[in-house]
Amino acid sequence: MAVLKEEETISLAENAVKIALKHGADEAEAFIYQGFTTTVAIERGQIAKSSRIIDQGLGIRVVANKAVGFSYTNIIGSKAAVKETVLKSLKSARASKPDKDWQGFSYKKPYANVRGTFDSTICELSPEDLVKLSSSMLDAAEKTDERVFPIEGGTGASYLSRAVVNSNGVMGFDCGTIIECSLATVAHESGEVTPVCFEFNAERIYKIDPEWVGREAARLAGLSLRAKRVETRNMEVIFAHFALQQLLYYTLMDAIKADCVQRNQSALKGKIGEKVASEVVTIYDDGLLEGGLRTWKFDGEGVPQQKTPIIERGVLQNFIYDNYTAKKEGRESTGNAFRAGYLSTPNIETTNFHFAVGEKSPEELIGEVDEGLLVYSLQGAHSSNPASGEFSVVATPAWKIEKGRIVHPVRGAMLAGNVFEVLKNISDLANNERKIGSLVAPWVLVESVKVIGK
Amino acid sequence: MKDTLTKVVNAAVDQFGAEYVEIRVQKLFKTMLTIKEEMVEAAKEGIENGAAIRVLVNGAWGFASSCSLDVKTLVDVVSEACRMAKVASQKLKNPIKLVESKAFEDSVSANPKKDPSKIPIEDKIRITSTIAETMLGYDKRVKSCTVDYLDLAGTNYFMNNEGAYIEQDKLYVWSRILVTAKEGEVFTFSREEVGSTSGYEVFDIEAPEIVGERAAKRAIEQLKAKTPKGGTFPVVLGPNVVGVFVHEAFGHLAEADLTLSGSVLMGKLGKKVASDVVTIYDDGTIEGAFGSFKYDDEGVPAQKTLLVKDGVVVGLMHNRETAQKFNAKPTGNARAEDFRVEPIIRMRNTFLEPKDHSFEELIEGIKFGYYFKSFRGGQANLDGTFQVGIQEGYEIVKGEVGEPVRNASISGNTLETLYKVDAVGKDFELWPGRCGKGQTAFVCDGGPHIRVKEVLVGGGA
Repeated sequence: MAVLKEEETISLAENAVKIALKHGADEAEAFIYQGFTTTVAIERGQIAKSSRIIDQGLGIRVVANKAVGFSYTNIIGSKAAVKETVLKSLKSARASKPDKDWQGFSYKKPYANVRGTFDSTICELSPEDLVKLSSSMLDAAEKTDERVFPIEGGTGASYLSRAVVNSNGVMGFDCGTIIECSLATVAHESGEVTPVCFEFNAERIYKIDPEWVGREAARLAGLSLRAKRVETRNMEVIFAHFALQQLLYYTLMDAIKADCVQRNQSALKGKIGEKVASEVVTIYDDGLLEGGLRTWKFDGEGVPQQKTPIIERGVLQNFIYDNYTAKKEGRESTGNAFRAGYLSTPNIETTNFHFAVGEKSPEELIGEVDEGLLVYSLQGAHSSNPASGEFSVVATPAWKIEKGRIVHPVRGAMLAGNVFEVLKNISDLANNERKIGSLVAPWVLVESVKVIGK
Repeated sequence: MKDTLTKVVNAAVDQFGAEYVEIRVQKLFKTMLTIKEEMVEAAKEGIENGAAIRVLVNGAWGFASSCSLDVKTLVDVVSEACRMAKVASQKLKNPIKLVESKAFEDSVSANPKKDPSKIPIEDKIRITSTIAETMLGYDKRVKSCTVDYLDLAGTNYFMNNEGAYIEQDKLYVWSRILVTAKEGEVFTFSREEVGSTSGYEVFDIEAPEIVGERAAKRAIEQLKAKTPKGGTFPVVLGPNVVGVFVHEAFGHLAEADLTLSGSVLMGKLGKKVASDVVTIYDDGTIEGAFGSFKYDDEGVPAQKTLLVKDGVVVGLMHNRETAQKFNAKPTGNARAEDFRVEPIIRMRNTFLEPKDHSFEELIEGIKFGYYFKSFRGGQANLDGTFQVGIQEGYEIVKGEVGEPVRNASISGNTLETLYKVDAVGKDFELWPGRCGKGQTAFVCDGGPHIRVKEVLVGGGA
């Protein structure tokens, strides 16, 4: 299957909207997604697998008497299949119940230029090139520590495109690239197995460092051997990038969604203008961040992505909106309607959730800690209470810090608390910003977290 | 379909040098609904047709997928898969081999009493709305609810170059119910899931009102709950928590790909890892259960696999590749979420076998501990560290169930904890759920009530 070009994609979407209107839809919106991904995978210490995945499809959302119907198909080469899909969405809308809050799709607005989101070099990479990248990552891991076993990982290169057309005149096409490499490892020594240690590097342009990923994944596993338990008490905790992403994804990132706020599912409801975090915390949701993993010209409804202040010096500024929740409050969408490909209707998600960095190096941040933990990853973060922000998770891998130095890895320590207390207790941030999914942040130091050790 | 697939399989072997080739075609139709409070967010329907082709060339895997099902495209796709495998084989140290497996020719049809694809969408809206209305009407402190509904019906076609050809109907009906309650500054949250491979009749077995009331009641009762003390305590786990514990804490470690990756079960086959009262199965043959099917995505029949017998590890869950490495028989655990991905080792219906204790006997000797009845997520690590979040729990005080606690979780090392299981109940429940391992799989987990002498309980702040 070939890549559909901009004009072909737009015309396919326009046609779907036309069919919907012709058959009686009050409004219609077509979304087309294409994804071409080549991967070379590492399994149990060797490169053993390669794949080429092509996914293309059309999702159509229509409105009839304020009731919304949606249908999708991945057979976009056939006019009959597209028509059938559009008719299905209409049938669904007519069978459904009207939504009194429905106030129409979005209107056309100019799109900003985004930077660092497309690199033709990535499209031209051959599977042979990806084997070389995976191989250099694997070699680097093996050279770093012989007790380490690379269990899985690999390299992937993707070209993605998206188009939105709606009956209010919205019409957009955007394409981008992503390249990533990752490695998961464990270390074994005299019967002891470490938790899985993971590193990765994902970028929109061809600027990744597989050797660093390999070395780092191996180094972490080696450093996780001979773990000890810690006492139960409140202590300082440094959340490294992955741990911070896991902690916030299921709590704060939900609490700022307008949908959760409007439906009384957010502990931040009514707190705009109030202090919800310590003064050192400033966060923007930046859909236009240069090279951001979630940077696109427009969101899943064709609304321009933008930079929205969320928390400035600890004070809550804004929630994030899609078109529906924004119109419900008589305001404008913040461009946060997210689509998981063509298979679903949009839902609200953060774009690039960008923390302002601090000034200290990670070593200096560790140096500030008298007694505490450095936590790389959390287990069980998805079992947090999304409404209240309460969490009860395992910190793994994690290391004990005493008097400004890492002294040993930690086994089986649980962290419990409330994410909104954690935000108020952030005392410092490092300067080592990284992109992990939608989070763009450095390490953060939290003054007091309950650690349950034994 | 058979002719098309035969041509593709022959091309792989005759023209492109495949040692092994399998092609999996999916033709599926899905209906999805999301109800938020009393509103239908969108009624959704979709078609997903596609083919997945996996080959072994020079001992390495190549994989490619396609949305188009015509012969010419599929021959191109199989050629691409073979090229990918050849590239991957450049640095291969240990060529991949597959264990022998009988090639079946079979046709498996779903025989639902109520075929979801024949039920009008209006009826699906009615049932999901009933659940939502029941929850909203249960108590004014119920603030919001979301009810998701999915049904999926269609056929999978499987062929490999060893003579297997299987046409197998797929049928799933699933619903997830989320409800939140609020009183003052206290927020609570409760979840229920319904899932079946038998048909739409799953909503006749347990009425939507009952499911809705159970979810809402839990959210309301948790409002007055306190946070648990952190530390090590004796606990009694309900079947719902036992299920997720067995699945997360033990099951994943016994997936042979993860065992080979160095899970704590590596080298433990035939060895004792749990107390005598622990017997664990992974069973793909339970009729209508959410994790059941007749053939897996390598054409191997699903079976009832004994993993732990009286505390001793006796089996692992395999695909054909890992079975070859362990010199074992394949167990029918290779599953792929859809045509976009390769089959990997997944659980089916995983459970702990019941024994002889009544619930009263389990709690009577506990001076202070916790009764954890229902879970909210769980996760395991290869070193055996597990975590299970709890959405419904109570104190046990002097042998009696006491006040509710909220936002608890338990953690520990699987093998240490399995040794501390000192009594197993005689009841049994199986709960539907979804398991994530890069791909999503529909599963069930369950068991009876059990008592664990001590486990680490993560308390509130």
